[in-house]
Amino acid sequence: MAKHETPLLDQLESGPWPSFVSDLKHQAEIRAKNEEGVEFQIPQDSVEDLLGVLELSYKHGRTHWKHGGIVGVFGYGGGVIGRYCDQPKLFPGVEHFHTMRVAQPCGKYYKTDFLRQLTKLWDLRGSGVTNMHGSTGDIILLGTTTPQLEEIFYTLTHEMNQDLGGSGSNLRTPADCLGESRCEYACYDSNALCHFLTNEFQDELHRPAFPYKFKFKLDACPNGCVASIARADMSFIGTWRDGIKVDQDAVNKYVENDPAYPPNAGAHKDGNWGPFDIEKEVLSLCPTKCMKFENKTLKIDNANCTRCMHCINTMPRALKIGDDRGLSILVGAKAPILDGAQMGSLLAPFVEVNPENDYEAITEVIENVWDWWMEEGKNRERLGELIMRQGFQKLLEVTGIDPMPQHVAYPRTNPYIFWKEDEVEGGWERDVAEYRKHHLR
Amino acid sequence: MAFISSGYNPEKPMENRITDIGPRHYEEFYPEVIKKNKGKWSHHEILEPGVMVHVGESGDEVYTVRVGGARLMSTSLINEICDIADKHCDGHVRFTTRNNIEFMVDSKDKVEPLKNDLNTRKFAGGSYKFPVGGTGAGITNIVHTQGWIHCHTPATDGSGTVKAAMDVLFDDFQKMRLPAQLRVSMACCLNMCGAVHCSDIAILGYHRKPPMIDHEYLDRLCEIPLAIASCPTAAIKPTKVTLEDGKEVKSVEIKNERCMFCGNCYTMCPSLPLADTQGDGIVLMAGGKVSNRISDPKFSKVVVAFLPNEMPRWPSMTDAIMKMVNAYVQGANKYERLGDWADRIGWEKFFEVCELDFTHHLIDDFRQQAYMSWRQSTQFKF
Amino acid sequence: MSDLLSNKEESTKAVVDFLTKKAKNKTKFYIKDFYAIFPDDKPRAIKNVINAMVTDGILEFWSSGSTTMYGLKGAGKQHSSEGEE
Repeated sequence: MAKHETPLLDQLESGPWPSFVSDLKHQAEIRAKNEEGVEFQIPQDSVEDLLGVLELSYKHGRTHWKHGGIVGVFGYGGGVIGRYCDQPKLFPGVEHFHTMRVAQPCGKYYKTDFLRQLTKLWDLRGSGVTNMHGSTGDIILLGTTTPQLEEIFYTLTHEMNQDLGGSGSNLRTPADCLGESRCEYACYDSNALCHFLTNEFQDELHRPAFPYKFKFKLDACPNGCVASIARADMSFIGTWRDGIKVDQDAVNKYVENDPAYPPNAGAHKDGNWGPFDIEKEVLSLCPTKCMKFENKTLKIDNANCTRCMHCINTMPRALKIGDDRGLSILVGAKAPILDGAQMGSLLAPFVEVNPENDYEAITEVIENVWDWWMEEGKNRERLGELIMRQGFQKLLEVTGIDPMPQHVAYPRTNPYIFWKEDEVEGGWERDVAEYRKHHLR
Repeated sequence: MAFISSGYNPEKPMENRITDIGPRHYEEFYPEVIKKNKGKWSHHEILEPGVMVHVGESGDEVYTVRVGGARLMSTSLINEICDIADKHCDGHVRFTTRNNIEFMVDSKDKVEPLKNDLNTRKFAGGSYKFPVGGTGAGITNIVHTQGWIHCHTPATDGSGTVKAAMDVLFDDFQKMRLPAQLRVSMACCLNMCGAVHCSDIAILGYHRKPPMIDHEYLDRLCEIPLAIASCPTAAIKPTKVTLEDGKEVKSVEIKNERCMFCGNCYTMCPSLPLADTQGDGIVLMAGGKVSNRISDPKFSKVVVAFLPNEMPRWPSMTDAIMKMVNAYVQGANKYERLGDWADRIGWEKFFEVCELDFTHHLIDDFRQQAYMSWRQSTQFKF
Repeated sequence: MSDLLSNKEESTKAVVDFLTKKAKNKTKFYIKDFYAIFPDDKPRAIKNVINAMVTDGILEFWSSGSTTMYGLKGAGKQHSSEGEE
């Protein structure tokens, strides 16, 4: 018998999509029965009370949570978000109900023994409710009390070789696409670089160093499956400098509509699009129109290719990314607020990805950007806002990157250049008396 | 319940303390076939919605069955995922950025038993636990934020709006009939702790009333300078207020017309709550993308300025979403993302074919970038 | 690093004095607010010293979720209001 009636939430049990309400109700029952004999360290009925308080929000159209200032475990400035229920008398099981962020493994691959260890820990010391995963990428453990935080951290670090993730004014847990592990489009090993950066910057991840949050996200190709260009202060997007590799036989298989060569890797199978037409579906959609198909031969003018991925996505068995691979670094993306959303802006068009030298070409850019932002960034100013405030030129100056036309979509449309004195021949100090010899007052 | 110690000694927090170890190494978790073929994949194919094969240069194959999942997930459901992974996938499983779950097997004959197993598992309420789909030119899982389940500043619920939306979009989760992939995202307030501003369709919770001021308690619970500093538009000022009993207390005043309803002050000061039944609701945005394919990444645009919170299934919201999806399916060319389609036909046509009202709220007036979105041309459609 | 920042006793005293002086108005500060105490030092060196004072139990963190602030341990109004010690 449920502790609280939930008539509104119950209506979210029907329909085909997995119902979180059904899942929570089931979880509440399991905790109530407790066939495993768990010595619950937070209230056994916490999930029932969670359903109860959520039902109340559905009734009121308002949240019933308050923020708390708890930050983390001892010495860490992030990894925990404090939450308190504003109806603790009605729902004592969730009176104190803090979130913990656990750093996810790169690529989000798991083995079940690890997951089972985690669920066992969370059943014992928390609500047993999680997010797999949070928006930043961490495993989110929803709902425990303050005394359990250190205990959970101790078990994570001592028994599971596993650390917390970031929150607050810290480096947030970097997140990546699956990259080379299972994708032929990957231009670099995003799992390896993500793991390296996460470990290299553990201090920045756990102990506040910055004016505000800072996010790294890693997309191994321009398709951008982890949306780094939209949401990372620094995004690492795989690219290549040489030509697309073409298998002409395979191109012709696509042209001949060979069933083993479905366009776009079969992504449009249920649509009524008719036979594949290379002219219409590839050549004319190429943003730079740098391709030709003549005499059964596909020619790509690679010098004019912008690597948008469309032709490769459409004919993946025929076209392959180039071999001279690296990544582009874009900076300053963020969701609102304050000045509205910003997309990442291209800072370094091509950077070598070299694990042999600890990715020094990449960490050099990171360190330079951080030094500038730590020095100049105002409280709660994201990198993108600092770049807006002090100018893209300043960013180039602090990173030592030469300006180039790749940095702009088009040059400035106003001539109001703030020339610096040292850029103007002879400087700004002039002799007015000398001037007056030739120009009467 | 007796307290069980993990081994941690609160008297000596630094004793045997392990810190800064990061996440587990990804290689520990790779399936064998992944480890063996990493960096040497030749190509892939989506065999049917939710089922992919990746072929290595070695000739090895890995078959992936992708299923949707609510990101809010219990340990009992994770344990069930582990049972499935143990039974079919040698104990390996992966999650995607969009909260899908991927089960991988190394030969084709293992796919059908896995799929059948996944399809038969249902919750007591009747919904699928592990619906197969979410690939290709369809609608995959919605990424979202906490909402009323755990956040202090949401203007709507996360899990509920997503469940309502995915139920009406479910056919397209299990089909690949759209012109291109369509990404739906949800954030429960404008702080967007999950970014939605570059999604084909974005559901965004929005407050419309400035915070209330609990003068009697404010100075007792909050540090006034912190509340003032938290406001991004400098709308909060210190003041003194005389309570009904004649007592004078320190408090704040809020310039309501400057408030952008972010809730940052409530984070710093619990005496400034802003949640409101009538004030809070949903904004819909459309036409964004993050991929560089064909066209540049672009921001989503606001297409519905406000819809009320209609618990538990938000029918006005799901109606508006369905109208957009249907018009897109009717009108877009193959490979054309929703925003590229809207750009091509013109946004004036977008509102016509989607049967959405255009109101003055949809004309940008926020700071200088507003100008960029007004029409500086005589080219438009009647 | 300046003499002030590298001297643990002196730097701690400077930080505690700074916070005590401001305590009447507010008890939580951004990392940047401490830069003023150590004008000759780099942000990275300052944050390392400030963060060490947290480990030493002199300061403590306060988080808004999106940002982290620092204050003297136990200072402020929110602790008792939530029934935590």
